[in-house]
Amino acid sequence: MKKSNFTFCRFRMIIMMLFLMALGLEDALANDPPSPDIPDNMVKMQTVEPERDVGYTVGDLLDRDVTLEVKKPFKLIETSLPIVGYERRYKGQVIGIELRKISHSTSENDGSTIYHLHLTYQVFTNNVVAKAAFLPAEILKFTNISNGEVVQYRIPEWGFRISPLAIYGSVKIEQDMSPFRGPLLLDASKDQLNLKIFIGILTVSLIGIFYIVGKLAWLPIMGRPFAVASRKINRLSSSPENIKKGIAIIHDSLNLTAGNSLFNDNLDFFLTQRPQFIPLRKDFQRFFGLSHHVFFSTENDHDTGSDALYWLKEFCRSCRDCERGLIPELPRKKS
Amino acid sequence: MSDQQLAEWQSHALKLESEINKVVVGQQSPIRLITTAIFSRGHVLLEGDVGVGKTTLLRAFTRGIGGGYQRIEGTIDLMPNDLVYHTYLGEDGRPHVSPGPLLSEGENLSVFFFNEINRARPQVHSLLLRVMAERTLSAFNKEHEFPHMLVFADRNQVEKEETFEIPSAARDRFMMEIPILVPKDNDIMESLIFDTRFHNVDKLVEQVSPNVLQFDALNSIASLIQEKIQASPTLRKYALNLWLATKNPESFGIHIDGVDINRLVVAGASPRGMAMMMRAARVNAWINGRSAVCPEDVHAVFHETIAHRLVFSPVYEMRRTEISRQLLSKIINTVATP
Repeated sequence: MKKSNFTFCRFRMIIMMLFLMALGLEDALANDPPSPDIPDNMVKMQTVEPERDVGYTVGDLLDRDVTLEVKKPFKLIETSLPIVGYERRYKGQVIGIELRKISHSTSENDGSTIYHLHLTYQVFTNNVVAKAAFLPAEILKFTNISNGEVVQYRIPEWGFRISPLAIYGSVKIEQDMSPFRGPLLLDASKDQLNLKIFIGILTVSLIGIFYIVGKLAWLPIMGRPFAVASRKINRLSSSPENIKKGIAIIHDSLNLTAGNSLFNDNLDFFLTQRPQFIPLRKDFQRFFGLSHHVFFSTENDHDTGSDALYWLKEFCRSCRDCERGLIPELPRKKS
Repeated sequence: MSDQQLAEWQSHALKLESEINKVVVGQQSPIRLITTAIFSRGHVLLEGDVGVGKTTLLRAFTRGIGGGYQRIEGTIDLMPNDLVYHTYLGEDGRPHVSPGPLLSEGENLSVFFFNEINRARPQVHSLLLRVMAERTLSAFNKEHEFPHMLVFADRNQVEKEETFEIPSAARDRFMMEIPILVPKDNDIMESLIFDTRFHNVDKLVEQVSPNVLQFDALNSIASLIQEKIQASPTLRKYALNLWLATKNPESFGIHIDGVDINRLVVAGASPRGMAMMMRAARVNAWINGRSAVCPEDVHAVFHETIAHRLVFSPVYEMRRTEISRQLLSKIINTVATP
């Protein structure tokens, strides 16, 4: 009986000691005695907070980047970094925000040390209406390696709003003009991509149309001899004098294209040098015939027919197509 | 009537060409040019290597034209009087004088064929200058006229020994200098070697129909051609520009590799040369059935009527054939019309 009482007393003492040790550890973790603040001029902080401060709900993750530049001789005490999974309280209440992940890196400069902290918090609370919440402030401790002094720095909290999972009752949107919540936006990225593609296609199509129609000379290809000639000749109205002008314009373009004066007797050589014009061989013959009739025939009757200028315009356009490497539409007679 | 005459004579000219083409193969271009010269009443100088058929070609034409025909060989000891008369001792033992090749046919002389003209002395060239230019000769106290005469001459430019360069004044009397080249067609070359009909020149020339043309009517038909075939103002301007370009090629932006174009031309084409070119161009238009000259007609005769008239700086004279061809080609390629 004596022995059993002794055993019972020893067991109670062990339980008591374990309880006291547990309490002491909790105090050690939660109520670490505060240290003096690090001098303001010894530390610089930059933070990158989450993009929005509203619209979070239970389960959401919030990332926070903190960069601290701490001048030497202060050095971070790594055991002071926040602990993953530790339940955070505010005024004795669990705030429902937990640190899920922490990573940090260190880089050394001549007079300072830069600490990069990446903190990921998760929301573990919710409410039937929107409520305020915050990522908790974090206390980091530093030691002065020259004299062993321990100081601390407080990373401030960051406030945001937690939204309910579902809304009860009807909501009048005009009465719900919370400045904490931005407008609800539809995902327009796909439409924006489509718009960009269509604008691209439209631009290419317009360039193609200008290329073919060739009314302006702002594209390099539109400065080629027959493109220029085509614009000049299209301005001419039908008259014997303008037919002469038209023929002279085409002669100039042919000479520029050939690099020498082009006549009927060196036409074959020209066509071997510029095979893209071969489909117009018969039209070249007609053109030189017309040119001879207008410029070299001394007959009084220089009648070239009513559609001569029209044909010249068509011929010039066909030459322009050949010049651009297109398959030319053969000159048509006036309908 | 004149249009009908022109049409008839055009068919004669084409027949003459086809007759010559039968016996002289692979020379269509020179044959067309000589036909052109005949109807332009211009003298012709053929130039080419030995044995390319220059003499055969001229003999064939001579037979086709008809009329009096005389021939003389250019030699270093040939003197002007050898063209005018012969002296010999007759059967009666007394000296006699008989007309030389120029005089023996009288006014009927239609072709005077001067073979290897560059072997003759400058004195002979001088005599020829007057005969070619004026078609008259003073001899035996009389003025002899040769109204229908054409001078056909040939020369071998390869051989230089015992030859005399024809002075530019004499060259200028020739309407055309036509290069005769060996045909490039292998079939033609083979037939020239193996076809025996080409081996006997006399028989070959006899195959040409004689008197295809009426030689004493050529002057009048030539005048008619010059009168009827017109040159438009545009063509006149073009010809003028061509002429100016032969005088000042640099002002037309013409360049030839390895040649200082500013120093190249001492004298461009002469007025007579340009006039002859236009005469020939008109005939070319007529042969091709046109009533007016076009640039292609000018091109067809440009080299042959102009190249031998250009006078180059002495430093370039040795390369005159090559340079003149390049220069004239560039002129045609550069000068534009209208």
